[in-house]
Amino acid sequence: MPEWKQEIIEQLASLKLAPTREAEIVEEVSQHIDDRYRELITGGATEEESRRIALEEISEEKLLAKGLERVEHQEPQEPVVFGAREKTYILAGLWQDTRYGARILARNPAFTVVAAVTLALGIGLNTAIFSMVNAILLRPLPVSHPEQIYTLSASGKAGGNTFSYLDLEDIRNQTTSLFSDMAGVQILSTTGLSMAGQSERMWTDFVTGNFFALPGVRPALGRFILPSEGQVAGADPVLVLNYAFWKAHLGADRDIVGKKALVNGRPVTIVGVAPEGFRPVSTLIETQGYMPLGMAVVDNQTKSDFLNERQDKRLILIARLRPGVTEDKIRSVLDVVAKRLAAEYPKADDWKVLKAFPLPPTGPTDEPPQGLGVVGALFLTLAAVVLILACVNVANILLVRASVRRGEIAIRIALGAQRGRIIGQLLTESLLLALLGGVGGLVVGLAGSRVLSSLSFHMDIPITLDLHLDWRVFGYALALALVSGVIAGIAPAWRATSGDWNEVLHGSGRTTTAGGHGLRKGLVIAQVGGSLMLLIVAGLFVRTLVHLQKSDLGFDPQHVLNIPLNPGLAGYSETQSYEFVDSVLERVRALPGIESASVAATVPLGGNNQGASIEVEGLASPPQQQTPSAGYNIVFPAYFETMGIRLLHGRGIDATDKPNSGRVAVINQAMAERFWPGKDPIGKRFSLEGDLNHPLEVVGVVRNSRTSDLSSPEGPFYYIPFAQQRVLPVTLQVRTFGKPEAMGPGVIGLIRSLAPTMPVAGAQTMTDALNTPNGLWFFQLGAGLAAAMGILGLVLAIIGVYGVVSYMATQRTHEIGIRLALGARPGQILGMIFRQGVRIVVPGTVIGVLAAFAIARLMGSFLVGVTTTDPLTFASVSVLLTLVALTASYIPARRATKVDPIVALRHE
Amino acid sequence: MDSRILDRELKKGSAELLILSLVEARPRHGYEISKLIEQRSDGAVRFHVASLYPLLYRLEKRSWILGRWVEKSGQRRRRYYRLTAEGRKVLASQRKGWQVFAAAINRIAGVEHA
Repeated sequence: MPEWKQEIIEQLASLKLAPTREAEIVEEVSQHIDDRYRELITGGATEEESRRIALEEISEEKLLAKGLERVEHQEPQEPVVFGAREKTYILAGLWQDTRYGARILARNPAFTVVAAVTLALGIGLNTAIFSMVNAILLRPLPVSHPEQIYTLSASGKAGGNTFSYLDLEDIRNQTTSLFSDMAGVQILSTTGLSMAGQSERMWTDFVTGNFFALPGVRPALGRFILPSEGQVAGADPVLVLNYAFWKAHLGADRDIVGKKALVNGRPVTIVGVAPEGFRPVSTLIETQGYMPLGMAVVDNQTKSDFLNERQDKRLILIARLRPGVTEDKIRSVLDVVAKRLAAEYPKADDWKVLKAFPLPPTGPTDEPPQGLGVVGALFLTLAAVVLILACVNVANILLVRASVRRGEIAIRIALGAQRGRIIGQLLTESLLLALLGGVGGLVVGLAGSRVLSSLSFHMDIPITLDLHLDWRVFGYALALALVSGVIAGIAPAWRATSGDWNEVLHGSGRTTTAGGHGLRKGLVIAQVGGSLMLLIVAGLFVRTLVHLQKSDLGFDPQHVLNIPLNPGLAGYSETQSYEFVDSVLERVRALPGIESASVAATVPLGGNNQGASIEVEGLASPPQQQTPSAGYNIVFPAYFETMGIRLLHGRGIDATDKPNSGRVAVINQAMAERFWPGKDPIGKRFSLEGDLNHPLEVVGVVRNSRTSDLSSPEGPFYYIPFAQQRVLPVTLQVRTFGKPEAMGPGVIGLIRSLAPTMPVAGAQTMTDALNTPNGLWFFQLGAGLAAAMGILGLVLAIIGVYGVVSYMATQRTHEIGIRLALGARPGQILGMIFRQGVRIVVPGTVIGVLAAFAIARLMGSFLVGVTTTDPLTFASVSVLLTLVALTASYIPARRATKVDPIVALRHE
Repeated sequence: MDSRILDRELKKGSAELLILSLVEARPRHGYEISKLIEQRSDGAVRFHVASLYPLLYRLEKRSWILGRWVEKSGQRRRRYYRLTAEGRKVLASQRKGWQVFAAAINRIAGVEHA
């Protein structure tokens, strides 16, 4: 009987079985071959022949080793499904891949959770930012055929995006070939609504009768304003309420229709409630009530003939374009209209160009908005970078797993599986993972957009971000999930299925993973670069915010409290209102804890600044140039003391400025330098365009102070006494000795005791009032978002660097063991592994700095007081990231020195 | 997929069924199993040692069959495989699956021939 054992042992050699197991198999198989040999001999074969056949059967196509490899070194196996193996069964294959992928993910819960959470953070951040971009830029107005809704603007001295009622009628009648209808709306007037002894402030739009026909929606209750209403001043005292206002302030009273109320002290009838989410002019503005245009006289300032006054430009025009009308036709028709009206009314309608453009969802403007798009694109780009960083981390984990699974894949390829099929299967796995991440991302995104939409604008205007998730947000999140599944999965899948399979099947485990190194290293280098870029961008935003917070405003916002006063809301006449303001001021000044108090028409950075064209005596303006203009504020005595604006020259506004005394103004430095450079401006005179008979005499010069925003250069500005030009509404401003907010209730209580029916909007400290969109709001949001993304990116990069360095250290355990056994000192081992970390961090830092240079160029217009190449930010952030990343590679390097040479050498 | 691989894949799927069936009635050793497969299929299906043992070990690893060394007097010890309770369940379901599959194949192939 021949001896088979040696032949069998050779066949099993590559398996590296445990000796006892190997012996068992050899015994069993050799017995089988003995039986087989005997059978062949009995069958009449020669000994030589029988021996040859038996040996062939042992070594047949190395099947024994290959088959045993799978059984003895057990790994997840693709199940055999009868009839579902051919490539043409794409659906069956997909279903099989999906189930197989799901099983693999379920079998490695730690990996699955880490990868899905990483992707969920990335996708969630993108979803939150996209939901904001969606709410501001993409979501159309909630009206039927929003693309047909147009608005108009005119250029020229009397131009702008507002028109008079007579303009509206003329334009509408002459553009019937373009627009099926055109309505006018005077947006956002404050009114006081009194019902059953309760007073509320209500933001009201005054609209022409046909306004409600344009959106093509139905009222939730009652009726809208009728086309016949609104054409006569003071007629048709009816009110349509906004849905949310009706719910929040009127208890969602279903019997509200027909009830009586007072608006600014005048009786009106509530006739209807608009449908939920009704925002026909802007997706951002939540108007609270709608009244016929003629009722605009309830503010006690609008003259009763305003509907016939061509100069009274208060209406935004909203029109519905007829289907099929081209932009060319719009332009040519409007050109004719503009020329005709300008010729007929050269003073009131001196329009050069009249144009119509689709009403932006954010609301009417003079021009279609563009800046917002850049902001949105910038933040979406930054968020996409974070997502890519997250994908890189997941790709890195998948790469490690791919090298572990090379044995499995080798066998499948040896069994005839096509490479594309295996890549497809691995991609299915990463796509499943990404879909899990996508679901998590929607949850994270929802939470994020909750936070974003709860951000207050710190403004007295009902602007709200409606960040509800719609199909666009869902679609975006789904698309992100699919894209990240492919990004994270394609490289590992490609790597896992390329290479020399014979080597994998025969070779030792140590060599199988070497090829993945370069790719993983490259990915982590890119990751360090990306996160550095994010951090530098965040650093630039934060530096801008800090600069603005510390910047000299020209006034002192500390210890100042603002309280809006609008006596008209309680039905006070003009005279009563001014008496009321006087008496409030007098009593507030007498309150303990008040250092000084004043009243002004506008509050710095409040977004409602006034400006006027002026003519300076003795300074002929060149005919080709625009007439000079300046901003102004109308103030009570003690204004400069209250606001902390330093008087440089002359005197401030004081009690000697009476209605009948000579008209005076206090100007700022910028105005003095612009119009009277190098001269003493005191005693000089200027007049307002259209009122040349009442020149203003400059009596004082004050420091420049911020009025409209924080970043643009300070322009000419003047202050005039309230006694000489009265205006409503106004804001009471008080400077307190202690905390300003502590004085709020006392001051409001005093106002309530004087005018119980006047709604008071509440007190706001001047420091809080700086956080408006004109002030710090945008910079705070930008710095907050960029910082959040930078930190997230940093965490992802730390995980990436740590992961890849510790992986490389593990791969070199054997080598480290040999080195230690040969007498290497731990310090040398530490340096060896640490250098691998350095080789990742240093090129990553270089890439990050270059990328940051590139993207910072886009940010130029959002940075104040910081250049786009700010050396301090670039240097400090780079050093910070380098230190953190090196620490992340130091930890695994240090662990590598703790390797026990004996254990390491036994490894594999 | 070339015919050799199709053959192998089919064999792989059906081989489990064959082995489980053969050890259903009583425990058998590897050589006996391979002989029975060859005899009962009139030589159409053969399992040589190189493909049989990986299969047996796999079934054993899944606890569908259990191998035990048995010494009989005057003979060398041999490893006998018997069906486990779990294996019995698998066998029942594989039998059913095979019947459905084979019937389907027959229906398709039958129509082609007719």
